[in-house]
Amino acid sequence: MSTDIQTLKSLDLFSAFSNEELGFLVEIIDPLKVTEGEILTQRGTPATTFFIIISGNFMVSFKNGHAFTLHEKGNVIGWSTVVTPFNYTGTATALTDGEVLTISGDELLRIVQEDAPLAQKFMEKINKVVEERSPFVTGKIAGTSETTDNSEV
Amino acid sequence: MYGLEAISANNGWAMALLGITIVFSGLAFLSFFISRLHLFLEFWENKDERIAKLKKRFQKKPEIKKEAPVVKVPDNLQEAMAQFKMLTTRIGDPFSLPRLIEMAEMSGLFHPHSTVNKFIKAGVIEPDGKGFFTWKL
Repeated sequence: MSTDIQTLKSLDLFSAFSNEELGFLVEIIDPLKVTEGEILTQRGTPATTFFIIISGNFMVSFKNGHAFTLHEKGNVIGWSTVVTPFNYTGTATALTDGEVLTISGDELLRIVQEDAPLAQKFMEKINKVVEERSPFVTGKIAGTSETTDNSEV
Repeated sequence: MYGLEAISANNGWAMALLGITIVFSGLAFLSFFISRLHLFLEFWENKDERIAKLKKRFQKKPEIKKEAPVVKVPDNLQEAMAQFKMLTTRIGDPFSLPRLIEMAEMSGLFHPHSTVNKFIKAGVIEPDGKGFFTWKL
């Protein structure tokens, strides 16, 4: 079962994408139901899947006990699928039942490598997420004002 | 030496100017005083009332204490909150959210993930901005 272009258009991550580009993505995106307590990504393991939240609430935790929570539609989990060394940096757990869109890391990388304009739009958004969350990965977050639901896309 | 020459030699012009200034200043002050005289008289007639008003104006207004925003905890969360709070007495506040969930699971608490989520949504637990979380109640 695949998702549709309208659903993708409603997400900030794909707001700048043309219908043609969304057409490519629709082919590789699959919706997935998640249940409370389900682990989506495990820190340190190969990043094989990229997730986009449609509904539900999620927690991403890191090795030093740091964590943030995601509650908004369009928040993403698993940016490590497109950033070297392609290993998850955090453990994402579903706090409630919900639904996510999944993209295979290999497929996503293939599209990003083959289509330069699409890659640029996508990586612009991903870079923002990486910038917001990298303090959690490095553990250097003293004095920042990261909140539970401000992680755009 | 007579006439204007004598006036100039003995600072007559300056003295005349000073005299004119003094007289005009006096007249100006007097006219101002007279123009405001009715106010003084009115004040004098109602002096008790006016003094009371002035006193009231300069009295310190009692400070209205701003109350902290009230976080309403739904009744069904009260009991869970007590249980989770008990867990955090062991790990301290601010606390690690995954650690709290882990301890709740070990303690056999009911649906620890969604309960913690409810706490966050209700504003009972808030991120401290440094990767940890803290109780707001």
